[in-house]
Amino acid sequence: MNTTQQAKINLLQYIFIIHGIQLGIGLITLPGEMAKIAGTDGWIAIILGGVISIIASVIIILLMKKYPNGTIIDLVAHYFGNWARKLAAIIFVGYFALITAVTLIHVILFIQLWILPFTNIYILFLLMMIPMFMLVSHDVHILGRYAVFVFFMSFWLVLIYLMPLKYANFLHLLPIIKEGWAPVLEAVEKAIYSYLGFEIALFLYPYLDKKEYAMRGVIIANILSILAFTIVTIIVFTFYSPDEITIFSEPALTILKVIELKFIERLEIIFFSFYLFIISTTIIPYLFFTVYCTKRLFLKKFHRLHVFIFFAFTFIYIVYIPPTFFQNMTVKNFAEKTGFVIGFFFSIVLWLIVTVLDLKKQRSLPK
Amino acid sequence: MKRFRWLFFMTIIFLTGCGQNIPIENLAITLILGIDLDENNEFIFAELSPMFNEDEKKNVDTYVVKARSIRDSRKYFDALETGNVTAAKIQILLIGKKILEQKHWYRILDTIYRNPNFSLNSNVVMVDGDIRDIILYDSEEKSQLALHLKEVIENNVHRTSTINSTLITFHRALYGKEQTAMLPRIYKDKNLIIEGTALLDQNGKYVGDLSIQQTSLLLILRNEKNKELTLSLPLTSLKKDDGIFSENEISMEVFRAKRKIKSTYENGKFHFDIDIKLTGNIVEHLFPLDGISQKDLEKAIEKQLQLEFQQLIDKIQQNQIDPIGLGIYARAFHYDQYKKVNENWGKELSKAKISVNVEFIINSMGAVR
Repeated sequence: MNTTQQAKINLLQYIFIIHGIQLGIGLITLPGEMAKIAGTDGWIAIILGGVISIIASVIIILLMKKYPNGTIIDLVAHYFGNWARKLAAIIFVGYFALITAVTLIHVILFIQLWILPFTNIYILFLLMMIPMFMLVSHDVHILGRYAVFVFFMSFWLVLIYLMPLKYANFLHLLPIIKEGWAPVLEAVEKAIYSYLGFEIALFLYPYLDKKEYAMRGVIIANILSILAFTIVTIIVFTFYSPDEITIFSEPALTILKVIELKFIERLEIIFFSFYLFIISTTIIPYLFFTVYCTKRLFLKKFHRLHVFIFFAFTFIYIVYIPPTFFQNMTVKNFAEKTGFVIGFFFSIVLWLIVTVLDLKKQRSLPK
Repeated sequence: MKRFRWLFFMTIIFLTGCGQNIPIENLAITLILGIDLDENNEFIFAELSPMFNEDEKKNVDTYVVKARSIRDSRKYFDALETGNVTAAKIQILLIGKKILEQKHWYRILDTIYRNPNFSLNSNVVMVDGDIRDIILYDSEEKSQLALHLKEVIENNVHRTSTINSTLITFHRALYGKEQTAMLPRIYKDKNLIIEGTALLDQNGKYVGDLSIQQTSLLLILRNEKNKELTLSLPLTSLKKDDGIFSENEISMEVFRAKRKIKSTYENGKFHFDIDIKLTGNIVEHLFPLDGISQKDLEKAIEKQLQLEFQQLIDKIQQNQIDPIGLGIYARAFHYDQYKKVNENWGKELSKAKISVNVEFIINSMGAVR
């Protein structure tokens, strides 16, 4: 059952697809969330969360090495048979579709609040749909090229955060571990959700041309994400007073309103417009693999039809349940918890089972 | 052909925003917004916006309305003005002293921080007097009132003689419990004068003023010396002041100001040792320096500065405020003790021992002996 022989991606594309998924909405929501739970110690939770995500990624690569020429669905089919393949595909379709839709709606709500307050949500949805549709209609190496392009086009956005540094006071970070480790560890759970995206390695691995670098690649992707999250969070924490930071719902966005260049005001609008590209690299790969999974279930030939069906369902969803931030957040929490279970527990348990099965097989083989 | 179909479809969708274009002539762009209480203690809102219509004689429009909140005031402004009122470009927010004398008055500013459309770089200024005097100030003479005020504030910030209080830094000082807020002060005499600083306490209530020199000293204590800084002192220890000239006056241009804060906690009290090291040129002295060595002069300047710093700190402690931001140090280095007094930091600071130690180094005496 090899479906992945045609398209290949190189290491750079592999790194940036994973990093691109991780670096999404989290970049602006994470500092506020961390401050609410752990105060100005939140940045420690982000680093710890990153380390845990690296460990999980390493286990995923170890798991995928057992069946290097197929995705996780092929691997499950290989070990457990056809019914397991269908079950796995259904689970992944559910998870990917949910997280794609939720992120998409979140972005649309953000755009509406910050940039286009009078534009109808359906029109924003249609606008987002077109480029997504065009990218997802092709193969995985197009995703790779897009991810690399977006990374180099937009990594200056993180550098923009260096500009409010002149107002920053690093004393706000002291003392480190002020309330003990308990709130920090509590915040780690939230922080891990922002690193979701490494689980795409379960699908990306077979496409990589040089598999010996898979481990290194996924670690580099994680480290890039850790750096981006930590830099932004520390700058936000040093800028605001620890008492006021929790007053803002998105401190990382409000901070941008301070930057004012001689020739441009309201830089946050330009920032946000570019930021859409960063978020698109989260949504598009997820959408691509949603479609990949549905294709494994039925109607293999009609790739574009699957994309259309997804959009139709999402559209019906936003028509019947007009999204609000609060309601979308509830669904998002559920999607993130699912991702947590899939990325961590599912991969670790599966890896253990597969290792045991392999050992058994080796023993039963006559020498 | 297929490609073109897509392109056509996309262009049509992208046109959606174009239906709502607003020509600039139809906009009333508020440049100055003022909030005050009138004689009956009711909120009044005043605004100034430029006119872009060439046929108009005036080039600015000013209005004063009564309303219950900032957002509420918009509908009254809309009822008055030619165009749609927009608040996105407010340059200066004037707040009447009468409002500042109320507790928790700053809740009125909520919409500014809640609504993403507002710019957070607007300068906040306290009006000593009635805001109507400022807004309705002879607009033909100063047609560019907003620009004028902005420039004056900027220049004073540049010369370290007033504080740079934008909406976002003001928010930090208001809601951060480890420091208290302050605002530049404007009043109308014959002209509009922006001078000194108004001090607010932890509840945002107005407690007192600082003169220009005191503001500069406060900015040194806050380690916020800007591009230029000039201090003028009477050196009473060297020469008695007699006659019409203040003959003991000396002015220094300080080009380097370093501040170090050491904090300790002993016997239930915070101690702050502030070391200040200034390097500067003498740019003016109105008395002969015969027989006074440079060392003695430095000593005399240090002594006088020390005195003025001490007066400033006494004023701060009397009013139970913390515009220096010493609370940041207390929080960073004595977190457990600070946490207990977080809610009443100003009161705690008034009990603290704050000592200032000034060192002044004369770099040059100028071109004449």
